[in-house]
Amino acid sequence: MTVADALMLALGAIAVGSGALVVTSAHLVRSGFYLVVSLGAIAGLYLVLGAELVAWVQILVYVGAVVVLLLFAVMLTRAPIGPSDDLDRPALPAALIGGGVGLGLTVLLVDAFRWTEYELPPPGTGRRVGEQIFGAWVLPFEVLSILLLAALVGAIVLSRPDIGARPDPNAGAEPAPEPGPIGESPEVAARLERIAARQAAAQARVRAQHAAEQATEVAEPAQEQTREDALKDQARNVVFQAREGAPKLGRTPDMPLEPAPDPRVIESTSTEVSRGRPELPRGTRKGPPRELPSGPTRDDEGT
Amino acid sequence: MHAVIPYVVAALLFGLGVYGVLKRRNAILVLMAVELMLNAVNLILVAADSTIKAGLTGVQPEAWAYAVPEPRAGAIFALFVIVLAAAEVGVGLAIVLQFYRLRRAVVLDEVALHEHDHEQVSADHATVAEQNRNAQVSS
Repeated sequence: MTVADALMLALGAIAVGSGALVVTSAHLVRSGFYLVVSLGAIAGLYLVLGAELVAWVQILVYVGAVVVLLLFAVMLTRAPIGPSDDLDRPALPAALIGGGVGLGLTVLLVDAFRWTEYELPPPGTGRRVGEQIFGAWVLPFEVLSILLLAALVGAIVLSRPDIGARPDPNAGAEPAPEPGPIGESPEVAARLERIAARQAAAQARVRAQHAAEQATEVAEPAQEQTREDALKDQARNVVFQAREGAPKLGRTPDMPLEPAPDPRVIESTSTEVSRGRPELPRGTRKGPPRELPSGPTRDDEGT
Repeated sequence: MHAVIPYVVAALLFGLGVYGVLKRRNAILVLMAVELMLNAVNLILVAADSTIKAGLTGVQPEAWAYAVPEPRAGAIFALFVIVLAAAEVGVGLAIVLQFYRLRRAVVLDEVALHEHDHEQVSADHATVAEQNRNAQVSS
């Protein structure tokens, strides 16, 4: 048992152990990191066996690129952090087949090589490998470069939906009708109904309150309109304007609005009072009202 | 050096890779197990590269054994296999991500191989867009 033997046993144990953890771990990310350990141990085995260039290429390409790519894929597919219990099938058939393959190959190789002592060749340098690649194996090398280019183009075509997509077989047919509330799933329909009911209730409450106030005003006409009442009217104006100016369902902001009557004049509110006052604070209005064709009303206010 | 050690390590790694490919449901984990198998093959190539020539000492110097003056072909094959594995992972992950974009899943059991599902996919897109719009409206 030489130093090389001891090193290979240790590195092989690390490689096989972390490989077993790769295929049994319940954490996706931990599997990736155990793969790093396993590949690093295999690179150490290459170093012991004298294939120096292969070892460094292994570390550069596998540990540096392939595993990082795999971890990126784990990230992009929103893999859960922590153990996930749905990663595995029932293990028995897989264990049978995998164990059979592994043990069969092991028996075969052990029977072929026994405990024979081999002398290690002098470690190969990058110079010798380069001479081989660009001498005897230059044609496979070039073919491999074309294959890499094809894989690159294929990956780009696959991940871009706008190129290489098959034409839709029913592209000529009319597009499917917009699914209305009837075609919705029951949860969505129920939710929409609840929202509509809540809005209707709120509107009815505000209207009822306003009507009650007006009734009291009518009932007591003698009451003087104080400054407080005027402020209340103004606030109500603001509320109703914001409601009217709010984006409507089914209307995009750039769609021309129908020329509404002056949106700031609302029936049965004391617009005369608010007309004469300075401009209302703009923070109360939201969104699309900025783009309303309400220039004339602004001008009216100015005068 | 006992050549049987790297060979046995490679055989065990290959068995583990087969086990992982058959057992895992997540496509990315299946790709990791495939990497293990490819590395086992690489290890066999490199080990054979450094032991076969030493094992040929008693053999007549035939042309098939010494096709090139210094046979380091195993290491070069290993380099080629590493490049192939990189290409395979690139295309495989592109497929996995595209499938995830369509179906929000990377579980291999649920890949429908037998249905011709153009319409299904476009209908899925329509319902997803509709639900998004409803969520915006209700919020």
